[in-house]
Amino acid sequence: MSSTITKGPVYLVDDEPALLKALTRLLKAEGFDVKAFGSARDFLGASLSEGPGCVVLDESMPEMSGSELQQRLRSERRGLAVVFLTGNGDIPMSVRAIKAGAVDFLTKPVKDEELIEAIRQALTKAAEMVRERSEIEALEFRLASLTEREREVMLEVVKGLPNKQIAGNLGIVEQTVKVHRSRVMHKMAAESLAELVLFAEKLSIANGRGREVEMARPLMKRV
Amino acid sequence: MAGINDIFKVLSRDIPRDTERLIGGVAGSYELLYELANSLADTNRSKIPMVNWVTVVWVMAASASMTLAAVHGLVWLRRRSAVESLLFCLVAIGTAGMAVCELWMMNAKTAEEFGLALKWFAVPLWLMTIAMVGFIHFYLGSDRAWLGWAVCGLRTVALLLNFVASPNVYYSSIEGLRSMSFLGTEVTVVDGMPNPLMLFGQLSLLLLAAYVLDATLSGYRRGEQRRALSVGSSMVFFVLALSLQTMLVLWNVIDAPVVASLFFLGIVATMGAELSNDLLRAAKLAEGLQLRERELQAEREVTDAIFKSAPGIIFLEDEVGHIVRWSAPGENGGGTPSGDRLAALLFRASDVGQLKQARREAFELGRHEFELDLKGRGETPARYFFRTVRVSFDGQPHIIGVGIDVNALRQLAFEAARQKEELAHLTSFASLSELSSSLAHELNQPLAIILTNAQAAQRLIAQGSPDIGELREILADIVSADIRAADVIKRLRSILQHGDPLLEPVDPAELIAQVLRLAKTDLEAAGVSVSVRHPRRLPEALADRVPVEQVFLNLIKNAIEAMEENGTKPRQLSMVCGVERNALRFSIRDNGCGLPEDSEKIFEAFRTTKSNGLGLGLTICQTIIKAHGGKLHAERNKSRGATFHFTLPLAK
Repeated sequence: MSSTITKGPVYLVDDEPALLKALTRLLKAEGFDVKAFGSARDFLGASLSEGPGCVVLDESMPEMSGSELQQRLRSERRGLAVVFLTGNGDIPMSVRAIKAGAVDFLTKPVKDEELIEAIRQALTKAAEMVRERSEIEALEFRLASLTEREREVMLEVVKGLPNKQIAGNLGIVEQTVKVHRSRVMHKMAAESLAELVLFAEKLSIANGRGREVEMARPLMKRV
Repeated sequence: MAGINDIFKVLSRDIPRDTERLIGGVAGSYELLYELANSLADTNRSKIPMVNWVTVVWVMAASASMTLAAVHGLVWLRRRSAVESLLFCLVAIGTAGMAVCELWMMNAKTAEEFGLALKWFAVPLWLMTIAMVGFIHFYLGSDRAWLGWAVCGLRTVALLLNFVASPNVYYSSIEGLRSMSFLGTEVTVVDGMPNPLMLFGQLSLLLLAAYVLDATLSGYRRGEQRRALSVGSSMVFFVLALSLQTMLVLWNVIDAPVVASLFFLGIVATMGAELSNDLLRAAKLAEGLQLRERELQAEREVTDAIFKSAPGIIFLEDEVGHIVRWSAPGENGGGTPSGDRLAALLFRASDVGQLKQARREAFELGRHEFELDLKGRGETPARYFFRTVRVSFDGQPHIIGVGIDVNALRQLAFEAARQKEELAHLTSFASLSELSSSLAHELNQPLAIILTNAQAAQRLIAQGSPDIGELREILADIVSADIRAADVIKRLRSILQHGDPLLEPVDPAELIAQVLRLAKTDLEAAGVSVSVRHPRRLPEALADRVPVEQVFLNLIKNAIEAMEENGTKPRQLSMVCGVERNALRFSIRDNGCGLPEDSEKIFEAFRTTKSNGLGLGLTICQTIIKAHGGKLHAERNKSRGATFHFTLPLAK
């Protein structure tokens, strides 16, 4: 069982020490890298390694509640997926948590399989988030290397317009469009038009609002 | 004289128009005197320079007298009853006239002129004497009125003789005039034979002095010491001095002009000052009265407000039963002197004898309380609680009574008690579910700890060659968590079993009705129709009301929840009650989702089919019913839903 491919640490945040201890035992037996925290404050204060991870959160805690901590993590640290494990959860609370990006919302007492499964999912999701994050960063980096004109051309290209029309739209000759287009393909490291469109989608510039190139700056935000 | 300004102040505040007239009059009289003095001086321009001390002093004396005369004349005009002001005015006018005549005499060129002046001198003297007697009479009052009459008579005789005799009553013949120095001025004096007839006049003066003295003494005796001393004594002094000086001059004993007016001026000044004081006092009194008036007004307003806004009946009644003032809600009797309507109201009391008795006792005891049923305008009789106090009003014994409608108050108190009771029920109903929720949370923690530890142990064992030390630790943690859970249960027990049930006879029909009242909101919200069935006459059950109501409410709540999934199917709840052997049997039937297969287990603690329950409700219900010596059980309906039955012992 411990042979499961589980990357990344599991952070437990709960104000009940006995439960924290039990959970640590259980998850360690399962082969997870577990770190336990008695409060949200302790957790935020700790220096954690970058990279994907999973946070198992209790909702009702003094000082800062689980959902408050979730909000903080969303804005401060990407790459951490959240699983709620709470004593008296109700439906509205769980809906809020899931909407805010939690992987699962479990109530105590929880069956070990359920918890472990949720943590696995969370770690997978966290890893995905990190990967996606770095991919987008790479794309952003490439996009930044384009000149103003090249960006304009790219916006037109990903809309699926032929060179001739692009030339008309931008008021340049078709030959120049071709040159810009091949430069864009090269700089964005896109092997085909389809790949370029995918990149653009990831950068969220291909949704027709991309006339102002600056719109491409904020880029996509996917949870 | 110092009071003149004050008098002006007082008068000018009230009568600016009159003041103008007064000032005009005074200015006019000054002008007149000035002209007179001037013309007199003109005739003797060669002899006496126009402005000299004699002229100044006599003109001033005359002016001052005229001013005082004007002021008090005006006072009399404003207030006709102030006869002493009129008399004083006449005294002052007389004094002014005398001053003028004296000035005339002192400036006379011929014996005839001197004689004429002296003849006319008697006229203001007469006026003044008569007026002064009158003034003394009104101001100080005398026990010997004949003295006053004698003074007036003698003076009148002297005046008449004066106009009969030649040249006048003072001299039988005037031999000649000569000049002498008086106050640094050359004035005319006369050499002549004194006329014995003038004894009438002089006797009159002495009698005047006696009259004044008598009046002073009687005034003093009456307790008007200050007034008697200041006015009386100064008048006696001045009259005597005047008589002496005139006699000595006229009988040729001393060589000087007649200066009677100066003495009279002294009298006038004293009298004036005294009258002014009186005026000031009156003004102050008036101010005080105004203030008092305002206070009274304010007091009256307060009283009016009390009567008008009294939330009950309030009345003031005298001993013969006349109601001086009253007010009652909706029947405004405030201010009307007639208490007929209240009397009518009171006499509509159901028991007139009781009312009369209450009234009599109110007067006798001074303080009394009683209750009466009164019929107001609306025909529903109201019960009033009266409290009366005996008071003295206008010197007569009265009672003040205040009555309040106690029906309304009692209704309120009853309503409040009922609501409180209802609230208590509702809170205990709410607290059970609240308790469940908090228990759920408190039990969850140890359960989670136990489960997690156990599962951790299972995993460790499954991995082979587990660390025995760690397993031991895990077991220790499980034990302590278990103890914690047991503590929670223990606490729950102690909450639910505080004291033995308080058993009393309870009407089962009434009990069901009360339960349905309490559950009304929930039932209506869930759209449940309720039917109740029981024989008309039911024996009483022996029960502790509140916990049994809890059982009912809990079962109703379960039924409502069981019917939640009925969809469009009607939700029906029926409650049946009947006698079964030695007990009352209550049945609560629903057409909801029914019971699980192992229906006898539903009474076990923490067993629940509901998503948000703890599974304690039925356990608690069973505990309560068992404590009453009854039984609670459930059965599946043949058609749909479930029925819960429980029994309670009969009261007998």
